[in-house]
Amino acid sequence: MNFIIDHLSKSFETKKVLRDISFTFESGKIYGLLGRNGAGKTTLFNCLNKDMKADGGSFYLEENGIRRNVEPDDIGYVLSTPTVPEFLTGREFLKFFLDIHGDEIENPQPLDAYFDFMSIEPEDRDKLMKTYSHGMKNKMQMLINVIARPNILLLDEPLTSLDVVMAEEMKELLRSLKTDRITIFSTHLLDLAVDLCDEIVLLSHGELESVDKSNLDDQEFKEKIIAALKEESL
Amino acid sequence: MSSPGANGIGKTLRITFSLRNTCRVNNILYALKQIPLIGRILPESLYQEAGLKILANVISVIWEIFAALVGKGLYFLILLGAAVLYPSPEKGPLFLYLMVVCTVIGGFVNTYMFNPTKDKYYALILLRMNARSYTLVNYGYAIAKLLAAYLLFGLLTGGLVHLPWWQRVLLPFFAAGVKLFAAAYMLRDYEKTGQASNENKVGALYWTALFVGLAAAFGLPALGIFLPETVSLIFMACCVAAGALSIVKILGFASYREMYQELLRDWMDQMDKSGASSGVSKTAMAARTQSEKAISMDAGITSSRKGFEYLNELFIKRHQRILWKASEKIAFVCLILVLAALLALWLYPAARPVTNELTLQFLPYFVFILYAINRGTGFTQALFINCDNSLLTYSFYKKPGQILKLFRIRLREIIKINLLPAFVIGAGLAVLLFASGGTDNPVNYAVLVVSVLCMSVFFSVHYLMIYYLLQPYTAGAEMKSGTYRIVLMLTYVVCYLMMQVQMPTLIFGLMTIVFCAAYSVIACVLVYRLAPKTFKLRL
Repeated sequence: MNFIIDHLSKSFETKKVLRDISFTFESGKIYGLLGRNGAGKTTLFNCLNKDMKADGGSFYLEENGIRRNVEPDDIGYVLSTPTVPEFLTGREFLKFFLDIHGDEIENPQPLDAYFDFMSIEPEDRDKLMKTYSHGMKNKMQMLINVIARPNILLLDEPLTSLDVVMAEEMKELLRSLKTDRITIFSTHLLDLAVDLCDEIVLLSHGELESVDKSNLDDQEFKEKIIAALKEESL
Repeated sequence: MSSPGANGIGKTLRITFSLRNTCRVNNILYALKQIPLIGRILPESLYQEAGLKILANVISVIWEIFAALVGKGLYFLILLGAAVLYPSPEKGPLFLYLMVVCTVIGGFVNTYMFNPTKDKYYALILLRMNARSYTLVNYGYAIAKLLAAYLLFGLLTGGLVHLPWWQRVLLPFFAAGVKLFAAAYMLRDYEKTGQASNENKVGALYWTALFVGLAAAFGLPALGIFLPETVSLIFMACCVAAGALSIVKILGFASYREMYQELLRDWMDQMDKSGASSGVSKTAMAARTQSEKAISMDAGITSSRKGFEYLNELFIKRHQRILWKASEKIAFVCLILVLAALLALWLYPAARPVTNELTLQFLPYFVFILYAINRGTGFTQALFINCDNSLLTYSFYKKPGQILKLFRIRLREIIKINLLPAFVIGAGLAVLLFASGGTDNPVNYAVLVVSVLCMSVFFSVHYLMIYYLLQPYTAGAEMKSGTYRIVLMLTYVVCYLMMQVQMPTLIFGLMTIVFCAAYSVIACVLVYRLAPKTFKLRL
């Protein structure tokens, strides 16, 4: 399965944020989306999640040579600031989500199994989410987004505010989830991107371009990425 | 420590003014940008537009002058009015007495120096200006404005109560003396206790003193008691002298920075917090805190339903306080009013014909009453902040079918919540009609009940519809939609105007029933057609 973006563009008044985005993402890979501050990473995600209408272009999925539109169920979007309904407990949110999806979920498990999988402690499961820490909310948001097994998982700086242990857990989780789906991961942490992602994609001048690692070692690869990002500001 | 030199004063003044002016100009431009249509024409680069900036600057300067004068003008008018209205023939001494007491109260209530404003936060904390010269220069400017305003209004109003000119000229110096003395006193207090008095955070003692002071100012003269002219004048002269001595203290005070860092602590905390949630405004922050507080922590709340009904039931139960409890309270108050009216009708049969006419003629009035008690806006705000704000980021929640399913459930709930007080009002009116002598046409009873219920349904539908069609909030709970504001305002205006309408209940009631039914149907059709597109986050 491929996720194809075709000449996508978006402007705010006179500022062209996304100029001409064309790219093919392949399933089974984690893509690290890098760009300077204000390059338009969040705008790109908002357009792909259809929270914002793009000015032009399109995006679609291609399976066995057959094109189809991206439906809401295809996309899971984890925002940098986690958003969960604060008036529910973690367990209630999960139950609600599973109720809605009913039979669409392959081999559903007891609620506690999901919490165990996400390392959410038993004593936290029945607390209102308004009392959750940032990291806990992040885990809940992630959990909801992965249960539905979306074909495309968009992650906007998901690890930035997690403690080291949680960030490691989350990295493992993302690696374990990458088969059969496209994961696009925006971050400012170069080490993380190089460590976790299979491909590095730069968003610069409103366009996407892949940075080829070829036979560089990690250090050289990082230098190449930084050089490419610096070039952008010239 | 030396006082800021003439050069330093000029520089500090210039920086302060340009800072205050920039904030004000940007606020004006921001407000312009928020107006629908006009906002769309204005370019994103409007903060650089020279022409617009000049306009905003002019508005800003006019505002500065206006603000300096209007408060004091009102103050003088109130005191003058009081002096004229009280029976005592000695208008001059009475005016002086009022001036003495009120200015002393004002001196401690409104010190300029101990009011932690945003300007001070910007200048002292963010820009780290020299606290002493900033304070002295700004305080000096505030005192100069006070002198000017008192002189102007003293000269204008003093003549009306026959004050000799020298007494009129004494007024500004007296007022400045009181302010200076109060500031010096509070500075000394800070030196002794290490606690800065924040004039916006005051205790019970303050309120008692304020109450006693105001009672002395406006109560005693009603009994013919007030200070004789000579005593007032001697007191004023003493205040001028005390003020002059206080200047030494104010100039010599060494710890302005420490004091302001304590006074401005709230601003620092607030900026930290709102900074964390991407710079949302104070009102949006307040709305959010309020809505979050409305969530009940009661661990006993559960639901046995499934899916959206489950979500809805938990929402309603956890927001009892602002939904059902509020509606029950209103219904209870209405019930008491109806019972009181019934009792009155029974005790004073003479009131019956009037009441009878009221119930048969004043139904339009109840449009406004139902508007006022409707829980619609509170419901939609809580819905957004505590629920939709987060869930709308999940794609399963945004599917058209799901949006409409939840809309139906919510509509049913808000209608139920609003119907309770409406039923009490409608039935109450029908009972009052009966108790006040009844009517020849029994259809009136039914029309009263049904039309009031219809009005209630109308408001429920109306608010939920505009929420779904305009979704006015941003992720930070800021209300961004100009159209939404206009619709709210129009709703108010129309309901207000309804109070002017007088029409037989039968006709108005039947019209209301038809209108509300038609409106509800159209609203639902619109939501079904448009909400899947319009009900989303504002980015």
